[in-house]
Amino acid sequence: MLIAEPLQKAIDELSKLPSVGRKTAQRLALHILKSDSENVDALINALGELKSKIRFCSVCFNISVEEKCEICRSQKRDHSVICVVEEVSDVIAIENTNEFNGLYHVLGGVLNPLANVSADSLKIKELVDRIDQHGIKEVILALNPDAEGDTTSLYITRILKEHAVKISRIARGLPIGGDLEFADAATIGRAFIGRISL
Amino acid sequence: MVLKQIELQNFRLHKNTSLDFSDKLNLIVGGNGQGKTSILEAIYYLCTTKNLNMSAEEDAVTFGESNFSIGGLFNELTENKARLYYDSIKNKKYFFLDEKQINRSTEVIGKFPIVSLIQSDHAITQGAPSERRRFVDSVASQASRTYLELLLDYSKTLRQRSSLLSQIKETRNNVLFEQLDAWTESLITSGTEIINRRIKFVQEFNVYVKEAYSSVVELIEKPHIEYQTLAEIDGENTAEKFREELNAFRDDELRRGINLVGPHRDDFIFYINGMELKRFGSQGQHKTFQIALRFAQFFFIKEKLGKTPIFLMDDVFGELDTYRAGKISEYLLQIGQAFITMTDLTNKDGLNITSDNTLIKVENGKTTFAN
Repeated sequence: MLIAEPLQKAIDELSKLPSVGRKTAQRLALHILKSDSENVDALINALGELKSKIRFCSVCFNISVEEKCEICRSQKRDHSVICVVEEVSDVIAIENTNEFNGLYHVLGGVLNPLANVSADSLKIKELVDRIDQHGIKEVILALNPDAEGDTTSLYITRILKEHAVKISRIARGLPIGGDLEFADAATIGRAFIGRISL
Repeated sequence: MVLKQIELQNFRLHKNTSLDFSDKLNLIVGGNGQGKTSILEAIYYLCTTKNLNMSAEEDAVTFGESNFSIGGLFNELTENKARLYYDSIKNKKYFFLDEKQINRSTEVIGKFPIVSLIQSDHAITQGAPSERRRFVDSVASQASRTYLELLLDYSKTLRQRSSLLSQIKETRNNVLFEQLDAWTESLITSGTEIINRRIKFVQEFNVYVKEAYSSVVELIEKPHIEYQTLAEIDGENTAEKFREELNAFRDDELRRGINLVGPHRDDFIFYINGMELKRFGSQGQHKTFQIALRFAQFFFIKEKLGKTPIFLMDDVFGELDTYRAGKISEYLLQIGQAFITMTDLTNKDGLNITSDNTLIKVENGKTTFAN
């Protein structure tokens, strides 16, 4: 079947996006084709600005419009505490909780020798410099609870041993709101291994 | 738990076979290559979605067809309909439980527990240590999901660490040492948990093996399984000893670029009356030990899960003398539902066949009920 070239091109580009398959890409492209040109322009603008205006914060590597991100610039935040995360999406997840009032540090991944990711391809050196230069008192490690995340936490802990800073790791265990009886066996098993004394 | 009936379509020699089973012994009798084992294979598929003999799914499709289907009716407290459909063109399996599609095979594992005594079991007592680790891990994982997750975690850490070791070997980059230490810590954490669980498992399982073994032989033979892991471990000091051992092998590991210390190198040594089975055991003792291991697995799983597994036995009677065949069939009475293949009925007299049992004759994929 022959499809007009511009449409085909749009479908091809859209289907490169994560979790968008051929059918969804086609539906999106046809929807855009039917939309008012103002809406389409707004979308194009938004996408263009996303790329041209946003960069990475020079301090914490979160996404930012300015050289330093809003969190790093805010005077209301506690500048003596850093929460270390894997990706920008983790910053968004933690920010949504409103529970953390310190600063972040985005590593850009975790140690993964199989994928050829070693410590120097992560922002670990930058983290150490930050701690030394800005009088950081506490570091909270909030990496994913798998083999790679845990090992990266261990690695950072070792690196920071000689620096006068308090290090902790976020707890793991049962999800809130879910009853014990509904949690999956693996989660309950792990929660038992990682039990804490009262 | 009982499998009441099964329906096979295009499964090996079975174009269209439908069988009602007894909830006691089901004897499946027929010559070689007539389709006896296929029935056991189909039962195993229904219980686990996996195959019994490591053969490929597409080989199980009847020649000239493009799919097979296995349907069954389980009965425990309620009736459950299970169905497995395999499409050889897409090379895809579909599993349905009570008409609802199940997408993750881990959701099925443990729901219909099954224990199988098959020909390839000889590797457990006679083969490499990896065969024994596989046996222990499969029994322990059937009983504990947490153990299974720990194994997956540990093997991931092993792969990462060996990749890093070989990078260090190639690049001689000293910066990587600190990262190696971190991976070593991870290895110690999950490895220690696995070792401690294996220590406990072997302690418990030994009781079941002794019981099963004494029910199969008349001699006063005492079987024993010894867990062979890092030296001088007593369950309290595992992490400490693990770390010491890793330190001792550090240079070797770096030179060779592989993981040399940990539970992935464990072995389980089988003894009869204090003599090592692998070195001194007769063929008969090996066979008896294999049988005892599977019966022990049966009662262990039954105890742990509170569900009675289905028991499969593929062509074992042909190799046994009348005495042991009789002993085993006595023992089988304590088991719930069992499926047993045999080429002929010479050992039948020892087999306590009663009206509760079903005798199925298989010839070239066609089945008939004999009683």
